[in-house]
Amino acid sequence: MSCRNEPKLSASDPDDFERRLNTRLEEHRARHAPPRDSGAWKLAVRYGSEFAGGVIVGAGLGYLADRFLGWTPWGLPAGVLMGFAAGVLNVVRAAQSMSRSDDASH
Amino acid sequence: MADATNPIKQFEIHSIAGIPFGDWKFDFTNSSYFMVTSVILVSLLLSLAMSRRALTPGRAQSMVEMLYEFVTAMIRSMAGDAGLKFFPFVFTLFAFILMGNMLGMLPYFPAPGFHGFTFTSHLIITFALAMSVMAVVIGYGVFRHGFKFFSLFFPSGVPWPLYFLLTPIEIISFLSRPVTLGVRLFANMLAGHILLKVFAGFVVMLGSMGAIGIAAAIAPLAMVVALTALELLVAFLQAYVFAVLTCIYLSDALEPGHH
Repeated sequence: MSCRNEPKLSASDPDDFERRLNTRLEEHRARHAPPRDSGAWKLAVRYGSEFAGGVIVGAGLGYLADRFLGWTPWGLPAGVLMGFAAGVLNVVRAAQSMSRSDDASH
Repeated sequence: MADATNPIKQFEIHSIAGIPFGDWKFDFTNSSYFMVTSVILVSLLLSLAMSRRALTPGRAQSMVEMLYEFVTAMIRSMAGDAGLKFFPFVFTLFAFILMGNMLGMLPYFPAPGFHGFTFTSHLIITFALAMSVMAVVIGYGVFRHGFKFFSLFFPSGVPWPLYFLLTPIEIISFLSRPVTLGVRLFANMLAGHILLKVFAGFVVMLGSMGAIGIAAAIAPLAMVVALTALELLVAFLQAYVFAVLTCIYLSDALEPGHH
């Protein structure tokens, strides 16, 4: 008796509906996950711009220090070196975040 | 002829109307025209598509809903549920850039001069967009966390003398974000459009060389068709990448010192 009633009951039970809806939604989300970063060109642009950005900003800050704080000639070389370090840091972080999003989507 | 095959001509900015402002004159350029058009088109399309508000969405409405879901899922996966309060900002950026990139794919457009223009292929515009992202990140970070926001520049678990070296590096790394964010969008759009125009120029040049030239022009023409498809993909992808990186940087504002 209870066995026969069960499917009918669960079909009208709002909690159960919620649960089934959520599992379907989860499946849907997993299937339509946003595209991952892949492809050689995109990787190159990503890493390249991360690294170049660090160097450019470092050199720019060094130049400004030379110009306005009178650190000539030490500001620019120090800035470029710091910029290289920052660029490497950027690339490492980009690689970390990319491998993390890879793990999450597998 | 020279104009027709000049790959850089498409990036020219010229004034359409001057707006006098005291002693100054602001130029309303073709770039401004395309940006205004982009904003109007996005608002119009979204409000038109959502005007029926049907429970079972039609084609237009489900496209808008897909866009909404797409951006929501992106923010959730990058910045968590707390990031959703930035949804309007990220969605606006995404829609604006996407529409700008897509308008750039039209070779002719009802504009003064009737030629297409891609405003995202200008560094100053992508850089301004990137700076607005950084302004939100810094503004919200300081508003929310006060001086603790600057713990971003002091990585934890390091002996203190190293801060003299690490803090400048972290600051440069932080300052380089708007540069990379802007340069990436700009470089992709610029390179793609130059490439398209170069191959299209080959078609014109070969086509003016008689029967053999026309036969030979088939190869670059096929290339242009393939590149146009690729550029459509890039146009979407770059808008997506810009929005994703915005989310990543916003997550720093939400929880600084959490790398």
